[in-house]
Amino acid sequence: MAAAKHSQAMFFQARAGEKIRNKVLQKALQKAKPLFVGKRAKAIAALPDDGFEFEALRTACVDIRNRVLGDLDVWLELFEERARATGAEVLWARDGDEICELVIDVARRHGVTKATKSKSMLSEEARLNEALAAAGIRPVETDLGEYIIQLAGETPSHIIAPAVHKTIDEVEALFAEEHGRPIESRTSADIPAMTREAREVLRQHFLSAEMGITGANFLIAETGSAALVTNEGNGRMVTTLPKVHVVITGIEKIVPTLEDFATLMRLLPRSATGQSISNYVSLLTGTKQPGDGEGPEKTVFILVDNGRANLLGSAYQEMLRCIRCGACMNHCPVYFSLGGHAYGWVYPGPMGAVLTPLYTGIENALDLPHASTGCNQCASVCPVRIPLPDLMHRLREEQVERGLRPWSESWALKAWAWLAGKPALYRWVVRRVSRYLQWLADADGRIHILGLAPGWSVGRDLHVPAGRTFHELYAARKRA
Amino acid sequence: MRVALYVTCLVDLMRPAVGMAALRLLEAAGCAVVVPAEQTCCGQPAWSAGNRQLAADMARRAIAQLEGYDYVVIPSGSCADQIRNVYPQLLAADVAWARRAAALAERSYELSSFLAEVLHYAGPLAEFSGRVTYHDSCKGLRNLGIKQQPRELLLKVPGLQLQEMGDCEECCGFGGAFSVKFGDISTQIVDRKCDSIAQAGAAAVVGGDLGCLINIEGRLRRRGDETTQVLHIAEVLAGKEV
Repeated sequence: MAAAKHSQAMFFQARAGEKIRNKVLQKALQKAKPLFVGKRAKAIAALPDDGFEFEALRTACVDIRNRVLGDLDVWLELFEERARATGAEVLWARDGDEICELVIDVARRHGVTKATKSKSMLSEEARLNEALAAAGIRPVETDLGEYIIQLAGETPSHIIAPAVHKTIDEVEALFAEEHGRPIESRTSADIPAMTREAREVLRQHFLSAEMGITGANFLIAETGSAALVTNEGNGRMVTTLPKVHVVITGIEKIVPTLEDFATLMRLLPRSATGQSISNYVSLLTGTKQPGDGEGPEKTVFILVDNGRANLLGSAYQEMLRCIRCGACMNHCPVYFSLGGHAYGWVYPGPMGAVLTPLYTGIENALDLPHASTGCNQCASVCPVRIPLPDLMHRLREEQVERGLRPWSESWALKAWAWLAGKPALYRWVVRRVSRYLQWLADADGRIHILGLAPGWSVGRDLHVPAGRTFHELYAARKRA
Repeated sequence: MRVALYVTCLVDLMRPAVGMAALRLLEAAGCAVVVPAEQTCCGQPAWSAGNRQLAADMARRAIAQLEGYDYVVIPSGSCADQIRNVYPQLLAADVAWARRAAALAERSYELSSFLAEVLHYAGPLAEFSGRVTYHDSCKGLRNLGIKQQPRELLLKVPGLQLQEMGDCEECCGFGGAFSVKFGDISTQIVDRKCDSIAQAGAAAVVGGDLGCLINIEGRLRRRGDETTQVLHIAEVLAGKEV
């Protein structure tokens, strides 16, 4: 698998340790979490004020997504036909390398030297920026968060808030260097000024780029349109100013009708940023027609598989319902202990813990399905009810079935199951362990370093048992 | 009413007082309590690790030990979730066992929900002087709908004041094997829980799952908090044995 060679997911443990020790990162994360959680909670709680009910909307959204996935080929063909009828070109990419080839080919055909980009996670799957640069085409990220991480030479750490791991001081240092000015002392009150500064720089790029590259939140089959949900307005610039617009999106992003799109939009911004609607919602259909004030002369859709079709009809099909709102990671205790980079590939958090092994190979991301406390917060907020913990669990089972777990773990579980099947022996062993733990404990009745579970006692003291097991106490009580 | 008490392996080894407290509560409510002698572990570790076959073997054994009572009561949300929600899907392909699993599932209850919903328990209750804060354990809260039941019971305890902590529904970071495999991430998560507990300023943090409680207590003590008590709800309701 092409994607696997760029995945760092096998180094999850080591990267997690680094992220936990990074005080600056921890500060940024602790600041962001309550904002995400609080805003979403408020938006969902306010749904009845607009005459909606969360669970009913969820059911409607699940139905739309399932209907599409049930006949994906039919909807894709319809989309292709309708999009072509509007004058757009529709291309297909099997994987990330094919995305890069197609985009570069389109760029060369139109003499493109600079491409402005609005946020696209699929271009991250393809590592498109690297490929463009290597082909002599300058990619310029125009989403503010993406602009920041492009300056930093990093990848997004969150699917909707790519620079959530950065503090204002770090951003200031990047801006000062890029914009050629001295570093100033900044507080959150300076954010509008810093944004204006970035906007002025980006404006020049908007005007000079020959190509605009975006993702699409949805593709609408009945009209052949791409729907773009943004907050900064950069999406409008990228899709209307350059002469060529390339939309790169996954084949699962399709919805049948505009009505379906409207239904999904009731939950997407609310789940993502807690907005009842995003600042901009763009429906992009075809090319600039005579009499149109703006719009691209050329529109190209690149519809991408990159592992998605394999999930159809599999135990993981429900994952394809995902509408990329980020609510799962926003409510994940593991994500907010680490940020997104620890996950090692494009998608972080619970959805990443499912997608990374599926798209890059289960054997290349062994830790991710286990990097969950099983708390189920992600599934409880997912607007399309993806059973994320169940899917992670299914991946764990597949690791066992394919012999990918360490022998020590398999052996320990087998020994435990065997012992649990011999109640008399089990009682005897538990009694011995109880005495042993008591013997291990210090005078304060606690164990500070537990050899059996060193990872656990790194951060915790174990209060030792009373020295007698429940079954001993119960037997004594019955005798008395 | 014949009630089987399934104490869980963790309570048996790590805090037998929880099992004894549960026993006293159920007896005080007039249940004929039986502690099935063969009980060991519900198989959750094998299930969580993805070892379906071992988990199914352990599920069959537990079902055979626990069927035949009017109710099975478990002082743990995660073990109750295992029996109520996991066993039926684990054995779904095996018709005979699936039926037995479903029959057991509907008679199995986590302790606080059994006391509140089935028994409408109103006492006798021990006294507790001071403020407590309740930690909602994930499996109980999100998979079994346990939220009001423990609070309803705690509010009946003479002298007890309930002080909710911020983010009481946030995970404590335990997650069974997770806290061993990813000890540092787990510590990071439980630290936030400890902060919430400290801010609530309660004399005790109370919960319904011993795994979470051992995790929280372990971190509080390592952080130098020697005073906040960490108690299972059974211990609060039944008090110390006299």
